Amino acid sequence: MLMCKDLAEIASDYIDGELATSQNLAIRMHLMMCRHCRSFIGNLRVSTDLMQAHSSVAPDEALMRRIDQRIAEALAARKKD
Amino acid sequence: MNTALQKDAEHTLIVALQQGDAAAYEKAVREYSSGMLAVARFYMDAASAEDIVQDCWVTVIDAIEKFESRSGLKTWLHRIVANRCKNKLRSNKREVNTDFSETLDPELANRFNASRRWQQPPRLRFDESADVLLENGALSDCLDKHLSALPENQRSALMLYEAHQHKSEDVCNILDVSASNLRVLLHRARQRIFLMVETFQESGEC
Repeated sequence: MLMCKDLAEIASDYIDGELATSQNLAIRMHLMMCRHCRSFIGNLRVSTDLMQAHSSVAPDEALMRRIDQRIAEALAARKKD
Repeated sequence: MNTALQKDAEHTLIVALQQGDAAAYEKAVREYSSGMLAVARFYMDAASAEDIVQDCWVTVIDAIEKFESRSGLKTWLHRIVANRCKNKLRSNKREVNTDFSETLDPELANRFNASRRWQQPPRLRFDESADVLLENGALSDCLDKHLSALPENQRSALMLYEAHQHKSEDVCNILDVSASNLRVLLHRARQRIFLMVETFQESGEC
């Protein structure tokens, strides 16, 4: 029988739809009976959405300018060749 | 979500890059560097990762002429970074250490009893959507802090899969991990974010 910890171990696979049908069914049965796991799956889903929505991937402008500079030098060197 | 419009825009950008258009490079650097950095950080420390990304952009100037659009530009750039990192590690004889044996974060694993039931169940339900939660600047800052504290391999997997929306097979290819190991990395990273949000929602502390 699927226990709470078993469910926690494969929770991301469930959220991403990566599980086999039989495992999916076992999780759904468990979720019907267990409010703690319902909270856990719901919270993990929100955590996953947070990552997708969070814009912390904004580039560091100082690094971008250093890269611009190196590209400009390389392009200039190529034009001379 | 690669619409025809995005594909057209990407094609226009590629042509401009192939012509050595400086403005196109500035645009591409801003669009793609953060993802390239996430890849490099999987393999090495922050300073070396920045060096690698700079070096890669210089090689792109020549390599882009042979770009054949078999993959998207983003995936192609990420592969260049990954290959360069792997070569550098080989030449330095450094190994990338990764532990894939534990599926659960230790902090979460300790919240179950011996019969595998919850001993300390989730303390609350996140009732708001991610977008609403992110309107709280303090939570957004806290998320930044915890993301930067994640082990590099987890953070890179998370960045590429969630933030940069790569397909699983592309992430596996770029980071050179198996599909099952990628699942472990993603799951571990999500658990850390879950634990962080739970603490924040409960106490307001990061």
